[in-house]
Amino acid sequence: MQIKEMAERCGWKLLCGKAGEEREAEGCYIGDLLSWVMSRAGENNVWLTVMGNINAIAVAALTEVSAIVLTESASLDEEAKNRAETQGIPVYSCEENTYDTAVKVYEMLK
Amino acid sequence: MRELSLNVMDIAQNSISARATLITLRVEEDVREDVLSITVEDNGCGMTPQQVQHVIDPFYTTRTTRSVGLGVPLFKMEAEMTGGDFTIRSQVGEGTALTARFKPSSVDMIPLGDINGTLQLLITCNPDLDFLYTRSYRGETGEKREFSLSTRELREVLGEEVPLDSPDVALWIRDYLKEQTQELLGLS
Repeated sequence: MQIKEMAERCGWKLLCGKAGEEREAEGCYIGDLLSWVMSRAGENNVWLTVMGNINAIAVAALTEVSAIVLTESASLDEEAKNRAETQGIPVYSCEENTYDTAVKVYEMLK
Repeated sequence: MRELSLNVMDIAQNSISARATLITLRVEEDVREDVLSITVEDNGCGMTPQQVQHVIDPFYTTRTTRSVGLGVPLFKMEAEMTGGDFTIRSQVGEGTALTARFKPSSVDMIPLGDINGTLQLLITCNPDLDFLYTRSYRGETGEKREFSLSTRELREVLGEEVPLDSPDVALWIRDYLKEQTQELLGLS
């Protein structure tokens, strides 16, 4: 499933990185400790986190996840937003917590 | 990272890549001021002001010099997340000094971790480089204590024939660091 379709069905709001919305979403990874995520998130995973800074965007670029979903409306700072836009990494926002979001992702990928 | 000592390892690797011959590591803790400060200083090739800006930008580092990685940006972020700060000074041909100041009482504080193990590994894996390690502690009483380990002094005592990566020296360093740390923190 394309990340765009998943986002629409889950009701996530796109914050930036529209150019990357056609990427496939395969699997999911959850984590906020960036160094940990960096060595574990898989290519095309949907990454659920509350870290909306430039380092998170760098981790997303390195791991080639398909998108970042900022749960519980965690904020995305301006610098990170600009970088994600240039890199074409979609960043979404949702109000649910990470667990509820993960359950939705599970349903989508089933 | 899960432990600050892992960041220190990463940062020290940058110093080694910068062809440093002396790497100074200072871990300074002040309980009353609620500060834990970690400084890594080297006499490597140094950086231009422009390069310094790039080092704290994760995108520059991930794209062009993969070996530098996210080490510096993460270290900076971790310090700032606790309410602390981060500074970097560098001079071409002179070296680089980097200090991260943490606020240990913050809930986002990452534990220091096995800093002695990090230092030991650095010394053993780079027996031709010199390391100067200082750790200080000022507790509730306001009295400041410190100890240090200098590989230059070790070399003078051991002489040319005994390399710093020999098992006996490695064991001695381990025990010395352990004992001194326990005494410093009042754990012994």
